Amino acid sequence: MAYKPQYYPGATSVAANRRKHMSGDVEKLREISDDDLVMILGHRPPGSDYRSTHPPLAEMGEPECSIRQTVEPTPGAKAGDRVRYVQFVDSMYNGTSVPYFRSYNAAIKFRGVDPGTLSGRQVVEARERDMEEVAKFQIETEMFDPALSSLRGATVHGHSLRLQEDGVMFDMLDRARLESDGIVKMHKDQVGRPIDKKVELGKPMSPKEAAKRTTIYRVDNVAYRSDKEVLEWVHRVFDQRTKYGFKPE
Amino acid sequence: MSDTSSDTTKHLQLEIVPQRLLRPETAQALLNEILDLDGVVRLFVHGPRLPGTVPYGPAKGIPLVHDSRRLIEIEGKTVELMVSVGSIRLEVTDANVKEQVHEICEKILPFPFEFREGNFMLRRQTVSGYARFGPDQDPLMVGITDPKGKLKDQVCFIKDE
Repeated sequence: MAYKPQYYPGATSVAANRRKHMSGDVEKLREISDDDLVMILGHRPPGSDYRSTHPPLAEMGEPECSIRQTVEPTPGAKAGDRVRYVQFVDSMYNGTSVPYFRSYNAAIKFRGVDPGTLSGRQVVEARERDMEEVAKFQIETEMFDPALSSLRGATVHGHSLRLQEDGVMFDMLDRARLESDGIVKMHKDQVGRPIDKKVELGKPMSPKEAAKRTTIYRVDNVAYRSDKEVLEWVHRVFDQRTKYGFKPE
Repeated sequence: MSDTSSDTTKHLQLEIVPQRLLRPETAQALLNEILDLDGVVRLFVHGPRLPGTVPYGPAKGIPLVHDSRRLIEIEGKTVELMVSVGSIRLEVTDANVKEQVHEICEKILPFPFEFREGNFMLRRQTVSGYARFGPDQDPLMVGITDPKGKLKDQVCFIKDE
């Protein structure tokens, strides 16, 4: 029988969503064009070439190395792209993804990425075109909710603040707004520089839908302690780690 | 240190914490209704700051027009809202006014809110407040401003008397 990874224990909807995020088997909910993505990332003008830090690997004449022969470079590394980042913030009010699960998703599903996990935000650094692939995937799928998730390169707070009256996560730089047509549109890039046109991120999820798709345990939705299997495994990991750490010679 | 306590009459201090950050329109309606009451001594709004320029990052210094940073009309005076209103703390004269404030919140806020009585503003000067403002500070101003802040940026006198 072929090996099937068991990503995360648990029988609740939150555990199932965590498995989905880790495996990358997530539902696609929206489309974002390449130009729109480049615009909101703000690293280069839309339509321009990728800037590079070194010539393409094929022209560089790499040294004889068995590892280099075994591992196929990512498209970004092959072309010599710069390393650039995308940073996400998810609200603790049933935001779609907790930072760890964005990192797991990036690290398991994509190559050549350097995910950074922080308490309220998550950053992925990679060669520019590889990073754009990760960003596009995470924005277009159920890992992103236009109201409760946000691209924020700087001034990231909002994750732990109460939501605004319209249900959108607070953003001091006001990068995305819920417009009167019910669609969230970004009118600034991820660091707060105004962009030439509004980029549509789509309709926000309803509170019920967000509660269904979230990977966050909350007592007012799915309580962590209600997931017995998760608790059992967390206890087991902590128990064994402690016993291993205590290793009298 | 002289006695600059503002609560010689033992005013009640209240805090209103809505479940959501208020839109300027809702904040304006709520503040106007509360300030129409007779027994409100002083009040301040609290919430995440809305700066006029991007404070840091690659876009530092770019003018920032936040949808929630607007001019609102409070009792006929125009006030610039520099925070997204997250909570309101106020001092009222008695329990009767407290009940009226609670009724106003129930009427205006479209979502649940926390409403509690406690100590939310300084009732007497601190040492740093004394060092900054001296012994003759208006008791109403105690604890309303940051000792290092500028008074005109933080306090609005609604009623002149």
